[in-house]
Amino acid sequence: MSALAEILFGGLFQGSLYAMMAVGLALVWTTIGVFNFSHGVFMMLGAYIAWQLVELGLPAAVAFPIAVVVMAGVGWILQASVVRPLIGRPNIVLVVVITTLAAGSLIENGALTIWGPRSKQIPALIDGNTTIGGVGVSLHQIAIIVITPLILAALWMFLNRTRLGLALRAVAQNEDASHLVGLNVTALYGLAFAIAASLAGLAGIFMGGYRFMSPVMGSDPLLKALIVVVFGGISSISGPIFAAYLIGFFEAACSYYFGLYWTPALLFGVLILTLMVRPEGIFASRSRGLA
Amino acid sequence: MNPILTVEGITAGYGRVTVLHDISLEAGRFGNVGLFGPNGHGKTTLLRAISGLLQAKSGRIQFDGQDISGLSARAIVGTGLIHVPQGNRLFPDLSIADCMALGAYSPRARPHEAENREKVVKLFPKLAERWRQRVRTLSGGERQMVSIGTALMSHPRLLILDEPTLGLAPKIKDELCASVMDISRGGVPLIVVEQDIEFLLELTQQLYLVNHGAVATEIKPGESLDHGEIMSMYFGH
Repeated sequence: MSALAEILFGGLFQGSLYAMMAVGLALVWTTIGVFNFSHGVFMMLGAYIAWQLVELGLPAAVAFPIAVVVMAGVGWILQASVVRPLIGRPNIVLVVVITTLAAGSLIENGALTIWGPRSKQIPALIDGNTTIGGVGVSLHQIAIIVITPLILAALWMFLNRTRLGLALRAVAQNEDASHLVGLNVTALYGLAFAIAASLAGLAGIFMGGYRFMSPVMGSDPLLKALIVVVFGGISSISGPIFAAYLIGFFEAACSYYFGLYWTPALLFGVLILTLMVRPEGIFASRSRGLA
Repeated sequence: MNPILTVEGITAGYGRVTVLHDISLEAGRFGNVGLFGPNGHGKTTLLRAISGLLQAKSGRIQFDGQDISGLSARAIVGTGLIHVPQGNRLFPDLSIADCMALGAYSPRARPHEAENREKVVKLFPKLAERWRQRVRTLSGGERQMVSIGTALMSHPRLLILDEPTLGLAPKIKDELCASVMDISRGGVPLIVVEQDIEFLLELTQQLYLVNHGAVATEIKPGESLDHGEIMSMYFGH
């Protein structure tokens, strides 16, 4: 019983974080067709900005939303500076991998210079612990498990029930036709990056509430998000969401039965198997598009 | 009547390749305009330059007295010049309803959304039956209807159609031609690129033969030619 509860809880929790990260990657890929390797850095920066604001004396309830909004701006600026100028060039996917990787490295080292290497922690969403099914869990983690699906549902509603969301989905499918119905394609690209950066920043705030923060805290979640989008297929945003939870459960089960040591190897085993058997991802249709 | 669209000395291309060489034409003086000519001689490129998808290297485009050369595609949509591109690729994973909502995206078209939707449904009753269906699941003819319907939702003052009947079965093609005639009778001037000369002769009052990225021949009303003459222009003998 407690084994099952532990795996279930761990899976839900890790899955939530991966989903928040992976959705942003997928959003950027589907709309702009590039892979954002500074996505992990967005996560770190969101957490550090929140930490700084709390340090300045703001209550967490104010500091966290501000940090998320600031991250939207950061995403927009990064898109405008290292992605937009390259759109339309040959080999854009590869070029953007390099530019976002470079930008990420600059930001990471910038954070190291500004905030130093000492580990930091930000306040939990909710303090305290409880026991469910014989497993001790923190209320912070439960809050994340509850809040994440709500945010993802809100994103889904935005994409599927609003005209602006419709425009984002349209840009993902056909850029020329989007121009011809009068969409502001450049602004929509910026918006995709802004949303992705906000979600990553929020994931960072979630993580900073239960684990020590460091300037490189985003690289492992980025790696996991990569596994998630490869596994789930990156052509939609629902695929990565389901995949994130599956990977979360898989990881929780692996670390329970085989130990933390073997978990990464098993995860990459799954990744390699997916690439061999179904390279477009298990939940993917064969076209690009948000749904 | 003053021309609604004037193209003056447009030179344009892709990268180092120049496709249009100093091409000039005007539309709207005599009614609808047809463009024809062999494939790969710049008809589509010309339309892309007019609608702002491609920035011309030199030349001037005026729409209803306003200089639109250099404007973004979005700004040009805002003036009411609407371009239906070739090949009805559109938005494969959106529903017809979504496409229609996108067509009415520009602030100019938004107030007319309900009225234009009614027009589209009246013109293409088939679309109403499949309103929630994804575009990728539709037939070629239906997809072309969605393309044209989306453009009508943009409340066009001038509609540009790039080979609307390309690849359609004869029966469906006839239906679509009839619908395009209806749109024209509804008061929207057209510029149509088409390989079917019979259809162009019926629909348009003025024809341009585009060859090697320039206007080779202009055929004004009253100078109507017979099929044989056009064919000989087409094939250059």
